[in-house]
Amino acid sequence: MLALNRIHATRIVATPSALDSAQWPDDRLVFRIAADEALITPPMANAVVSDPYAIVVADSGFAGAWLPMEEALPLLEHACEWELPRERPAFAQGSVAGIPAKLWIEKDRVLLIVPAPFVADFEERMA
Amino acid sequence: MSLQISCPHCGPRPVEEFLYGEIPVVPDSITDADARDLDRAFMRNNPEGPQTERWFHLFGCRRWLTLRRDTRTDEVMEAG
Amino acid sequence: MNEFQEKKIKFAWPEPKRSYDVVIVGGGGHGLATAYYLAARHGITNVAVLERKYIGAGNSGRNTTIIRANYGIPEAVRFYQRSLELYKHLEAETDRWIMHKQKGLLNVAHTESALRTERARAEVNTAFGAKTEFVAPKEIKEICPQIDLTGGNVWPVLGGSYHPEAATARHDRAVWAFAEGAMKRGVHVHQRIEVRGLTMSGGRVTGVETSAGPIAAKAVVGAVGGHVTTLASMAGVRLPIRTHPLQAYVTNHYDLQFDVIASSPGLLFYMSQTARGEMLVGAEIDRQPSYSYGSTYHFLQHCSHRAITLFPFMRSLRILRQWTGVCDMSPDYSPIMGKTGVDGFLVTTGWGTWGFKAIPAGGEQMAQLIASGETPELIAPFGLDRFASDRMMADRGSAGTH
Repeated sequence: MLALNRIHATRIVATPSALDSAQWPDDRLVFRIAADEALITPPMANAVVSDPYAIVVADSGFAGAWLPMEEALPLLEHACEWELPRERPAFAQGSVAGIPAKLWIEKDRVLLIVPAPFVADFEERMA
Repeated sequence: MSLQISCPHCGPRPVEEFLYGEIPVVPDSITDADARDLDRAFMRNNPEGPQTERWFHLFGCRRWLTLRRDTRTDEVMEAG
Repeated sequence: MNEFQEKKIKFAWPEPKRSYDVVIVGGGGHGLATAYYLAARHGITNVAVLERKYIGAGNSGRNTTIIRANYGIPEAVRFYQRSLELYKHLEAETDRWIMHKQKGLLNVAHTESALRTERARAEVNTAFGAKTEFVAPKEIKEICPQIDLTGGNVWPVLGGSYHPEAATARHDRAVWAFAEGAMKRGVHVHQRIEVRGLTMSGGRVTGVETSAGPIAAKAVVGAVGGHVTTLASMAGVRLPIRTHPLQAYVTNHYDLQFDVIASSPGLLFYMSQTARGEMLVGAEIDRQPSYSYGSTYHFLQHCSHRAITLFPFMRSLRILRQWTGVCDMSPDYSPIMGKTGVDGFLVTTGWGTWGFKAIPAGGEQMAQLIASGETPELIAPFGLDRFASDRMMADRGSAGTH
């Protein structure tokens, strides 16, 4: 049974070029959720990007769970109507079981992320 | 065939992930300001053929994209 | 009446004349009913109906055949009740069996606010001449034993409204009944003639350009489904119409009888049983405007999910056929009928997802308008001028699906 936990992160909204050129520490996961928006976990309150108007805020609006690849693939194959990226690691987002989900796919495991209000629905649908 | 839309950030996704948005185009032949307001608020071009339109990727990056689609066939002609 | 009592139809298909008093563009239900009432009630028979395919090829043959009057605003209740009455007597009047069957329609509510809507619907209907009553879950179960009142523990049925006079009829038969009635009184129905333009003279419409040459007319009526914006633009008329696809499907035969038309305005889903015993299921329009008749797997999945949750017996049925029509949606979910601001050019459009039930009253009222030159009181609220004068006939809660 899938159990999702709250993800504490930092959300940065900045120009695409500022996000492209930013350097991130190796111990952080950085999800580029839009051209001008990134989500970094664990949080990084002192994140610096080269955009004077960048918005940097704490974000705990998502929840996620790590799954080993051999568990994740059959689940996603069933619940996903679009093609997963082939490179590793890779970030992807779209409808999973009818819920707006984000995926961080590593070589042997996958982080499933959904907006926190959808957690119960998502767990039920993926069960 | 279900319509597929290519999101420039997220990649090709089924149409159900997106919200449709229209670009109101008031014809130049309408010159009166009130008439233009009325047209923009209510009237629709509703073309049978290619139309430039906006789509919001609700299930992904939550950004608007521009698309040209043939309303007779649902064929996507070019993504903007 | 039934099929054995009918006489064989004998049609004469005359060549098009070069001019008519009235040319109706679109050989669907609304166009043919307008022609029928012009001939039958007003003696106006120098009329042509032009259809680019075959009559009933468009939405008249693609709808889900529901006849009801349980709308949410007084103007609509009066109009659709008139239509419902005309349908009741259509078989006697035309001597054709349209397979009209009174079934009753059940609207179910899954939330407190939907419950208030259904209560208001019953009140408005009763006040303006339609029969609708507010019903509790126990009564719903009596009307429709197959329903799961718990809604699969997701969409519980808290109550609803019941509209006993709702009916269904065979759509092709209704179209042909009007066509035959019009033709035997002298109206010309021309199939496979496409209208390519409107002829204008001195700011008024004076006829149509067709694939069979120009045809002059004192009045041109736009009664097309799905292409009305293109037609109206030829006269410089702007319409508040967006054309959206609407899908439906039927299952294989259901062994038992399903007497009622069941509908959930909240889930945007409804279903009834056809004369062949198939379950006919429909839902809301596709979100993007399109003229495509394409079908989607997404629709089947969503619609079936709703059907199975409310009616668990649907689980054992299989989908046989799926099809699509196109709906001319108006911003206030009400039709647009009457004058357009251009002399000699009238429209009957905006029939969205509610066109079939309106065919007799729409035709009758348009015919009266053409014959008298005055907009009848019943359809005056539905004029194109209502958008400029801010008199919207907003009724989304009644017209969202069927």
